[in-house]
Amino acid sequence: MSYKKPKVLVAMSGGVDSSVAAALLVEQGYDVVGATMQVWDYSSCDIDEGNGTCCSSLDVDDARAIADKLNIPFYVLNCEAKFKATVIDPFLKSYLDGQTPLPCVNCNTYLKFDHLIRKMKELGCDYLATGHYAQIQKNSRDEDCIATSTDDWKDQTYFLFTIEPEIIKHLIFPIGHLKKPQVREMAEKYELINARKKDSTGICFVGNQGYANFIQANVDPEVLKSKAGWLKRYPSGEKMAPHAGIHQFTYGQSKGLGMDHHEKLFVFKIDPVDNTVWLADEKYLFKSELDVVDPHWLSGVDEGERLNVKIRYSHKSTPAQIFKTEKGFRLTFDEPQRAVTPGQAAVLYRNKELVGGGWIL
Amino acid sequence: MKNTADSVYLDFNATAPTSVEVQKFVEKFIKISGSWGNPSSIHWASRVPKLEIREAHKNIAKVLGCAPLEVIFTSGGSESNASILRSVFDAVFLEKSMGEKCEFITSCVEHPSVLKSFKYFESLGAKVHYISVNRQGQLDLEQYRKLLSNRTALVSIMWANNETGVIHPIKQLCALAHQAGALFHTDAVQTLGKFEINLHDSQVDFASFSGHKFYALKGIGVLYSRKGSRFHPLILGGGQERHRRGGTENVLGLASFAEMSKQRSKITEQAQRLEILRDHFEARVLAEIPSVTVTAKESLRLANTSSLVLSGVDGETLLMALDLRGFAVSTGAACSSGNPEPSPVLLSMGLTRQEAQNSLRVSLGWCTSLEEIEKFIDVLKEVVLRLRSFGDMQEIEV
Repeated sequence: MSYKKPKVLVAMSGGVDSSVAAALLVEQGYDVVGATMQVWDYSSCDIDEGNGTCCSSLDVDDARAIADKLNIPFYVLNCEAKFKATVIDPFLKSYLDGQTPLPCVNCNTYLKFDHLIRKMKELGCDYLATGHYAQIQKNSRDEDCIATSTDDWKDQTYFLFTIEPEIIKHLIFPIGHLKKPQVREMAEKYELINARKKDSTGICFVGNQGYANFIQANVDPEVLKSKAGWLKRYPSGEKMAPHAGIHQFTYGQSKGLGMDHHEKLFVFKIDPVDNTVWLADEKYLFKSELDVVDPHWLSGVDEGERLNVKIRYSHKSTPAQIFKTEKGFRLTFDEPQRAVTPGQAAVLYRNKELVGGGWIL
Repeated sequence: MKNTADSVYLDFNATAPTSVEVQKFVEKFIKISGSWGNPSSIHWASRVPKLEIREAHKNIAKVLGCAPLEVIFTSGGSESNASILRSVFDAVFLEKSMGEKCEFITSCVEHPSVLKSFKYFESLGAKVHYISVNRQGQLDLEQYRKLLSNRTALVSIMWANNETGVIHPIKQLCALAHQAGALFHTDAVQTLGKFEINLHDSQVDFASFSGHKFYALKGIGVLYSRKGSRFHPLILGGGQERHRRGGTENVLGLASFAEMSKQRSKITEQAQRLEILRDHFEARVLAEIPSVTVTAKESLRLANTSSLVLSGVDGETLLMALDLRGFAVSTGAACSSGNPEPSPVLLSMGLTRQEAQNSLRVSLGWCTSLEEIEKFIDVLKEVVLRLRSFGDMQEIEV
């Protein structure tokens, strides 16, 4: 009887993490197929601009070069229309609604762990692998679950809370047990051309221009104009200065408010109805509870259970109790948390296990 | 990804592996003393290349049915198309040497190298008419007759379509153009090796050819300019090709093209063999795979080409799945691969977006065997069945 190697589709961005992921899979004896999702039309970008961010056109070339080096088949999947509809458009809408969006979650929800899962099946593959810093482990009930990476600093499970539990058995995170410096060492060992490529930071399609410029370039100027309003002092309601649009602000921001003032003030609340951006002393930024909508669960939780919560990617998780509500759940923190930001996700962990999450209202 | 021994190439309309004769010729030629020389030199090192160029004009002219001096070497089909269209455009708009004649007629199923040139002329103020095609890929001759007038400067229509294989009645189209006093160009890149042509008999004024679609090397093409036609070169430079195309000649390329021209009778036999294989392929596919149609089946087609619509199967994914099994095929033109937009050629024939996205092009060539075709059909059946089992993918409208 001949042994058929398990076949895995690996999502390759051209960055060092997914390249090492692909190399490890080849070394482990899988039958590996590489794919890059082309998600944004880069034809209008100049060459320097695209350089170094996740999934730019030059990164596609890098991914192809790595696939050639590993001698695996490689395809570019054109996902521009889907990416625009499910990632870019909601991203723009969120800012115009006075929120701070989290596009990487949508990309994972609709592209990496939906579109690519479909491609995995269509191409006759058994598994889908990505270069995420996350692990597949057994939980206390002996079920496969997503667990945080060994590298606390790089851990990316925050972006994975919308994954459907039934696909976990098809997922492989080949570098989730490694720390970033080890991944770079491996890239050197495998002589991958991007071993020293800088980490992608920020949002891939925004690049170096900054999100405000991106919004300016992609939203009708009339719509932007209609988002102008006043910076007001909380709680007095004193008008402090006019502003050119609520999309230019994010919760907790204190720099670049566009006005001179002798005290340090922070964005406390953005009201999309009358376009008021409320500024306040830092003490007002702290909240001891928050409401979450559109929850998604990878595992069940008990009413009143104490879980660890992250309210933004760079947040160090903190304990909170969970209580179900009509549209989602409410979290009560042990310690008040600074700058709870609508549009970001609250993601829940039981020890290392990713339990689920939802969107901060 | 390296080719494996059992990989099968069925994408000859995109490009073709060089023939055994060309492979042998190239190997031999590069070892000939002075074959690398510059043909424009006076010294001994120019003699071999000079001879090759002269012989190549003769041999290629025989296959094309024209005179050796009517053959101009270029870098390929796209350059030939661009040069001819630009030459006539300049005559009309810059030199104003064509009097009243200032309009162009082409078809909506042309290669991008033709369509993009016309789009550019339009942006500069030119009037371009596009003849539509029916579901069978045939041109609307009624519309063509109506569009032709004494204002028509040039008609440019491909001899055979690269995606569907549909062959257009060039002699008839050219005669109508000439009656209206217009010049006629044909992009004949897909003809060589697939059926016999005769340029003098067809009466066309200009034609374009490409070496690599004819089992020769890449980077060599031919521009045919009928004796007495006004042609202004796109590339000025040395006096090469009788001042009609500047730049040191691609001697190895043109000699490989000429080498293929010598194989003319063999090639004609090949075409008959390919037609039998293609017909067998289509018969088996239609009998064994449900919900398949052959595009332009009722039309006169290239013997080697089959364009299918496999309903419910995304062409791009099908291509990848077949590639993973070692089969090279395409959804449309190779130039547009990586482009998710459905083929404009198929859309202009009246296929829906969905049908165009469900399309597959198979094109055969000199080394295609019956065994390969049988193997391909077996795998195609299996892959189509698998892809259909996942149901329709929701398409996001752009």
